[in-house]
Formats: sequence, C-alpha cells, structure tokens
Amino acid sequence: MAATQTRSEAVLHLSLILGGALVDSDGARLGKVDDVIVRLEGSGYPPITGFLVTVAGRQAYLPAERVATVEPRMVTLSKAKLDLRPFSRRPEEILLKHDVLDHQLINVEGARLVRANEIELARLEGWWRVVGVDTGPRGGLRRLLPKRIGGRIATGDFLDWASVEPFAGEAPAVRLRVLHPRLAKLHPAQIADLVEAASHDEGRQIIEAVGSDADLEADVFEELDARHQIEFVAERSDEEVAALLSHMAPDDAADLVAELPEARREPVTERLAPSQRRKVRALLGYDPAEAGGLMSPDFVSVYRHATVAETLDRVRRSGLPDENLATVYLMDAKHRFAGSLHLAALLRADPEGAVIDLDVEDVPHLNPEADFEEVARLMADYNLIAAPVLDSEERMIGVVTVDDVLEVLLPKGWRRRFGLLGED
Amino acid sequence: MPGRVPAALRRARSLASARPHLPSRLRSRRSRVLVFLGLLGPGLIAANAGNDAGGIATYSEVGAKYGYTLLWAMVLITVSLALVQRAAARMGTVTGKGLAELIRERYGIRWSAFATVSVLVANFGICISDFVGVGAALGLAGIPVQVSVPIAALGIWLIIVRGSYRSAERVFVWMTIPFFAYPVAAILAKPDWGQVGHALVVPQLHADPTFLLLFVAMAGTTITPYMQLYLQSAVVERGSTEADLPAETREAVGGAIFADVVAAFIIIATGATLYVAGIHSIGSAADAAKALEPLAGQYAELLFGVGLLGASLLAAAILPIATSYVVAESLGFEKGIGRRTEEAPVFVGLITAMIVISTIVAVIPGVPVISLLVGVQVINGVLLPINLGFIWRLARSEELMGEHRNRGPVDWVTAATVAITSTLSLILVAVTVLGL
Repeated sequence: MAATQTRSEAVLHLSLILGGALVDSDGARLGKVDDVIVRLEGSGYPPITGFLVTVAGRQAYLPAERVATVEPRMVTLSKAKLDLRPFSRRPEEILLKHDVLDHQLINVEGARLVRANEIELARLEGWWRVVGVDTGPRGGLRRLLPKRIGGRIATGDFLDWASVEPFAGEAPAVRLRVLHPRLAKLHPAQIADLVEAASHDEGRQIIEAVGSDADLEADVFEELDARHQIEFVAERSDEEVAALLSHMAPDDAADLVAELPEARREPVTERLAPSQRRKVRALLGYDPAEAGGLMSPDFVSVYRHATVAETLDRVRRSGLPDENLATVYLMDAKHRFAGSLHLAALLRADPEGAVIDLDVEDVPHLNPEADFEEVARLMADYNLIAAPVLDSEERMIGVVTVDDVLEVLLPKGWRRRFGLLGED
Repeated sequence: MPGRVPAALRRARSLASARPHLPSRLRSRRSRVLVFLGLLGPGLIAANAGNDAGGIATYSEVGAKYGYTLLWAMVLITVSLALVQRAAARMGTVTGKGLAELIRERYGIRWSAFATVSVLVANFGICISDFVGVGAALGLAGIPVQVSVPIAALGIWLIIVRGSYRSAERVFVWMTIPFFAYPVAAILAKPDWGQVGHALVVPQLHADPTFLLLFVAMAGTTITPYMQLYLQSAVVERGSTEADLPAETREAVGGAIFADVVAAFIIIATGATLYVAGIHSIGSAADAAKALEPLAGQYAELLFGVGLLGASLLAAAILPIATSYVVAESLGFEKGIGRRTEEAPVFVGLITAMIVISTIVAVIPGVPVISLLVGVQVINGVLLPINLGFIWRLARSEELMGEHRNRGPVDWVTAATVAITSTLSLILVAVTVLGL
C-alpha cells in the first residue's frame, strides 16, 4: 500500500480521478468529480484548468486555482468555502472524459488512429498535466474491472502525449487549431489514409487543420478517394474549390472536377487560373479509362538540337514537382515527338553536347485513345515509369506515369488500409 | 510512327475478345456501386440475413403451431425493425461511426463491454444455429453433418480470412432466392385470405407459455442485434455522407419491410399447409420443407434445402464479420479482416474460434435441431432490449445527430418498441426461471 501511495503522487490515472470525492479543506465531502478540463497549449503537456463536479445534484465548474490537491479518488479544495459557477468552454479547453477518453486519437508517430483506454497525468512544473495515453488492452481492462481489482493490474505502455493528437469533439472553440507539427510532417498519403479511416467529423477536423497549408491540403486531396473528396468539397464555394484545384496536379484536378455534380463543374472550372483551366478542360475531354484521361499534361520537352546544359537549365527552372522531371522529352522543329532522355543520362553527359547526340531512347508511345490495358502492357513490356501520349499529329500532349496505372491496377480492397466492406 | 506499335501490343490487342474486365477510374466504379450496392445494399443484406436458419425455423414453428393468428405481431415487429434499422443506417451515415464505437464514446468502456459481450453471446448462438442449418440442409440430400458442416466451415473461413468475401457474398445472396418460393407456395396453398387479413389487423392472444416464448423468439430472430451493428458498420465502410441520407434511410426501411414480407409468407405457407393438416410442431428440416409442397411437390425438400443452405451460409459468413467489427470498435483495435493474419491476429483468432466452436456444436450427434434454433432466438430476444435501448438513446441525441435526430412520433414509437420488447423479455426470463 505504501508503495502505491508514493507512486500515485507522481502519476495519476484519469479513471481514478473520475467519480472520486470532492472534499473541502476540512475533509468534508461536498460532491463528486465528473470530468477533468485541460487546456491544450501548443505541443506541451496540457495542464488541468478545472473540474466538472456534481454538488448537491447540480453540475458545476470548479476552477483549478481553487483546488489544493488531486489524489486518487479525491480532489481537495484549497478553501473551506465552495464557489461554483456554470461551466463554459474557453478556447483551447477540452474535457478529458467527454472528448478524449474512449475516443479516437491520432498516433502521429505511427500515422494511425488509436483509442484512448486510459489517460495518464503527472505533476510537472508544479501542476498536474496530461502526459500520456494508454491505447493497449491493459488500460481497458483496468477500467473494465471493478476498481479494487482493476487498480492492481499493472499499467501498460503509455504513448507520450507529444506523439498523439486528440480530436476536439464538438467544441468549435478548439477546432480551428494549427496543425500538429508532426502531423504536418506525415506524407500526404498517410494523412489521407487517416481521413479515410476517421469518422466524418474527425476527418473534417483533419482537413480543417491541413487547410492552413494550401499545398499540403492539395496534396492530401490528390490522395483521397473520390467519396471523401466530394464530401469535403461539397461545403465549399466554387471559388474555394477552384483555389484548391489550382494547387493540385492537373490530372488529379481534372479527376476531381469530373467527380463534382454536373451543375458545379463549369462554374468551378471557370474560376481556375487560365493555364490550369486549359489543362483541366483538355483532360476532361478524354475518356477517364483511356490514356488521355490517365495522363498528366505536365512534362518538360526540349528541341532535339538543344544542348545538354540548356536542357538541364529547363529542368532547373521548371516549377513542376520532382517526379515529373525524371524524364525529359525531345521534339523536332515541327513539335513532333522525337524520343526521351532520363535525367541521369543528361547529368552524366557533356554539358556542351546536343541532346540528339546522346543515346536517345526510342520509347514507344500511346494514343490518347489507348485503353487502359494497352497502357499497362506497354509500360510493363518496356519497363517504363512514364509513357508519352501523342496526338494525331505526333505532338506530345501528356505523360502517363506509373502511379496512375498502379492506382487503377491495385486489387480490390488493397487501396485502403482499413476496413473490409468498402466498395473497392 | 504509327508503325511503331510493338508486336507484343498487337498480340495483346488480338486477345481483346478474351480480355478481363479492368476497372477504369471513374465510370466503372460508379456503375459497380449502382448495379451491385444499389440493388443489394447492406440494408437489404442485413435484414435478410435475419431470415436465416433460425428465422425459418421460428416462422415455420409459429405457422404450424398457431396458423395465421400471430401475423399481427409480425406487423408490429416490422414497424420496430424498420425503425431500428433506419436509426442504425442514419447514425452510420451522419456520424461515420459504428454502433459499438458510439456506445463506447458516449457511455464508456463498461457499457460498451456489456453490449459487446451480449452481442458476442447472441452471435455465437446464431452462428451455431446457422451451422446447424447448413447441416440440416445438406442432411436432406443425405450428406451426414460430420462431413458437410466441417467442409462448409472451412469454406467460410477461407472466404473471410483469405479474401474474396465480396464475390462470395453475391453467391450467397443468390442462394437465398429459393426463399421466394415461400410467397409462391403460400399463394398456391390457397390460404383463407379473409383469415389472413383478419389476423394481420386484429391481435389475438393465446394463453399458454409457448405463445410468449414464440412471440419473443419471433421478435428476437427478426430484430437481431447483429443486423443493426452490421448495417451501421457497413454504411460507415461504404463512406456514406449526409447527402446519401435519404437513400440510406429508404434502403434500410425497404430492406426491413422486404425481409418481413418474406417472413410473413413463411408463416402463411406453413399455416396453410402444416397447421391445416394438423401438424402443430416441427421436429426436423424435412417437416418444415412440407410447407413448400404445394409449389414443389416431391421437390419440396430439395428447394427447401437449397434455400436453407444459402441462407445459413450467408448468415454464417456475415456473423463473424459483424462480430469482429463490434469487438474492433469497442476495444479500439484496428479493424481489418480479409487482411493478412499477422496484421489482424485478434480478428482472425476470433473468427476462427467462432467457426470452430460452432462447427463442433453443430456436428454433435443427437442435437435437437429445431429446439436449439428456437432457443437461440429466445436468447436473442432477451439480449435485444440492451441494444435497442442504446440505439434509441443515441438516435435521439441532438449532440450526435443534430437536425437528423429522431424526434416526435418516430422517437415515441422507438421508445415504445424498446419498452415493449424489454417487458416481453423480462416476462420470458421470469417464466423460464420460475419454470412455469
């Protein structure tokens, strides 16, 4: 018993505070503790700012300043007098039981959703703060069994609070928070996975948080499945959707436009910047199951008589994402396709030489009407990571990259990490 | 340059006639959803899985014992089922969370554990009954249960754990089609439609304990907890949003009504054949098959057997999935069956255990099939109020459901459903315990 006493001074579990007695400084019982309120401040450990208590059948708010000690099953007031007021949430405040315990959290470390079975508090810098969350079976068992038996079960592994991100429940004041710095470091595809696995409200919170970074938001949208894209776009104005689309790759933007309700497609497309609008319009003209619908119009092409240095300079100055620049395409004076070159080949070559003198790969190409199987076979047969698409006059109009093909080829059910009954 | 099309590609093109269908990004995903899920969505599957082996046994027993006189109860049960399924579908659509998940978040871990354990017990019972159903169906063809049930169990295990659940589900749904034989058989049996109509509208009570037992069993098999859990999880998995709310509501209600119309025809068919012929108790699957004789004559047993097999397999496949969803949601494990074993050991373990134990129980010689099936429905009837209570409370919560919460008459009738089923269950428990 003595051992538990000393340990419990350093660490407290939420389940031991909830339902505990509220006593005044003389030790007289006044009521019981219903919930614990903490303030999320940046990425630090959130301190307790107050308690929800029931006194004489009425629920009231007890600010932390009026509390002397917090012990297992007992919260003691600093004064004999009790001063209760109704609770109203202040910004950044969440209720540990109502909003966090038993709810889902993002484990930012592993980029997955976990459920809080127990919450661990510790005395840091003079006051109680949330330091960790138990997501394992032990925390659940401790709370499941009667307190006398459950309390004897050793605690499981706690996740440090710094590596989790709670959802804020229905509290609007807390919702518009800056993105957890480590959440922002996740790959957009991982964030999209989290959004897809979360409930509607939780997904919306992630998207809202991501919204502070327009490029990241666009990247996440590129990775989301169509259902979720539509869900989050439905509430936005045409201008907002256009702004989002302008940050997306043209082929993904065109896909999203195609998923929009008929009546919104034109208004949204009209609000795009001219160059993006032209690309999206052109892509929308193709059947999405054919090369034209799969391709991206973003690539770098140079005249075949350009020097290696000039070509590399084009790549350097290009605003395209890195993955679109791995291959550079050549054209003749009439803008007809004339082969392709790997970036690595350019780097190894003499900068003064003409690109045409290099070992230009005579890659096969696709018509915009080539169906999906043709695209996939061609890329598999020739080991291509990108296949050029030419129009009827042999001018290059786009490139189908291997990720576009993989997305379609992925077997049913593999696309999502979670769930079984999904429509895929 | 067109001449550059490689030979390999031309070969590929020449094979075009035999090419497999490959999905495109946009069109086919949508058409697949429309064709398959639009017609056979989770609402319909969930409610129809209730017409499984236990359901058929119970409805047949009701029809044989009391003729049409319990049809009025079927009307009430349909209203309840439709409301409950509707609430589950709407909660899944609005919140994007499963039922067990909501219970956990709103009422804490103990209540969710209680609900989970009750569902586990109920589902185990139903799972056993469905394996018994498989054995009984193949038994009509002379295959001993010691052979048929383990093979079926292995098949179901492989389908769930190793993959192509979706395609199997389609096969199972098709296999329930022989149950449409019941409406036809009911009409061919020329029941007294005046009596049927009267029984549908005018409540008739019987003063024996079997009546109460069968009444609760009927409610228990028609409104089974796993249906709501499965439906809500499936709606969530489907990614339905508020825009889909009208469609999801329609499908849930439509599925419930459809399933219960079939159930009512089972009662009418057995009432018009067995009850009229003075057979008031059903001892075996062969007895129950006699209700199909007006339609199928000597093939009645075959027809009944195929339908019973399909219905049992469908439920036996959906049950472990629904169960593992509940456990996943309430314990907070990562969901995912059809995944590799090492990724989801708890689920594969749970599913395997359920199937293995059910198989063992089902192959023990001398198990009284029909009474076991009815008994399971009684357990379900007792556990039902727990689940319904949560659904009622959650569906009317403004915090959770906002403007889509249950209000007014819908809320009152749901409350009445909970109250009535709870009362019935308590009476049943009292009767059973006191040995009346």
